[in-house]
Amino acid sequence: MEFQITTKSAEETMQLGARFVALCKPGSTFCLTGDLGAGKTTLVRGIAKALNIKSVVQSPTFNIMKVYFDGNKPLIHIDAYRLADLDTDIGLDEYIGYETGITVIEWPEFIRNLIPENAIEVNITHVKDDMRNIKIISNDKELMEGLK
Amino acid sequence: MVTVLLDSSNTNLSVGVARDNLLLDYVSYEAWQRQSEFMIVELNKLLEKHNIAKEEIKEVIVAKGPGSYTGVRIAITIAKTIAVALDAKLYAVSSLRVQKDGAVPSICVINARSGRSYVGVYQDQEIIVNDCIMKNDEVLNYLNEHPDYVLCGEAAYLGKEGKQTNNLQEMLNLKDSLESINPLSLKPVYMKD
Repeated sequence: MEFQITTKSAEETMQLGARFVALCKPGSTFCLTGDLGAGKTTLVRGIAKALNIKSVVQSPTFNIMKVYFDGNKPLIHIDAYRLADLDTDIGLDEYIGYETGITVIEWPEFIRNLIPENAIEVNITHVKDDMRNIKIISNDKELMEGLK
Repeated sequence: MVTVLLDSSNTNLSVGVARDNLLLDYVSYEAWQRQSEFMIVELNKLLEKHNIAKEEIKEVIVAKGPGSYTGVRIAITIAKTIAVALDAKLYAVSSLRVQKDGAVPSICVINARSGRSYVGVYQDQEIIVNDCIMKNDEVLNYLNEHPDYVLCGEAAYLGKEGKQTNNLQEMLNLKDSLESINPLSLKPVYMKD
């Protein structure tokens, strides 16, 4: 199933993140794609805010993974960009889909073999100024109905 | 003679101290992803509580895996550091074997995720099945075929209740059957590669 939404500001993009939190099941994995500056991290900040996480959320481009424990449930934020062309196991599979948390993965194409089948694909494209087109693909009926 | 016992191979953190081969005190609690924050703190607390000077530490026993990729490395890193810094003897033992139920034939499991388990089957000093990775349905089949064996470890992910044993006491029991190992040559056991 596919659903598209246009957001007109960073705040609206963050609100979409909050709706993801309200609608998704525990252990959900979100795969975020979009160019640099498209708003992937903004969306993750929306998810973090909805989980009452007070820490500042930044893309873990250097660290590869950051786990936030200070909210209602753990938020696992992975940026796989630096794993491109690296065929090495660093144990990420233990975090992706972690039962009680929410996992968000940027640059999922670099760890395709670790992405669960039921992952929710989110593609963000820059339209103009602060306007973004966000496409969500998922087989989770409740999530997709809820978003409409 | 003081022995330090460390295990963070699964989601738990276990730290213990033994004096003259008797388990003096220990802590063990769930600390997924936070074992690195707490392991040294807990060890220091135990040493202080029992008035143990660092120089008294003559042995370290560590669970070497299989288990969590990061978890296994935390305890091993700390164990190696103590062994090198204090010139203490280092022993490494299977993190599955330390879950066994004494002399009872035990199917020891750790969740390897993605529908798989780390499994080792032990009885007393004997290894019945060497540590390996199995699909979860294979584990359940094995369990059905061996109704007299005891399932040990955190097994809720299999829909079963596993017996929780004292992994640190078991480490101490196993020590005499182990050879001490050069800290520079100890490597974590990780079976997924």
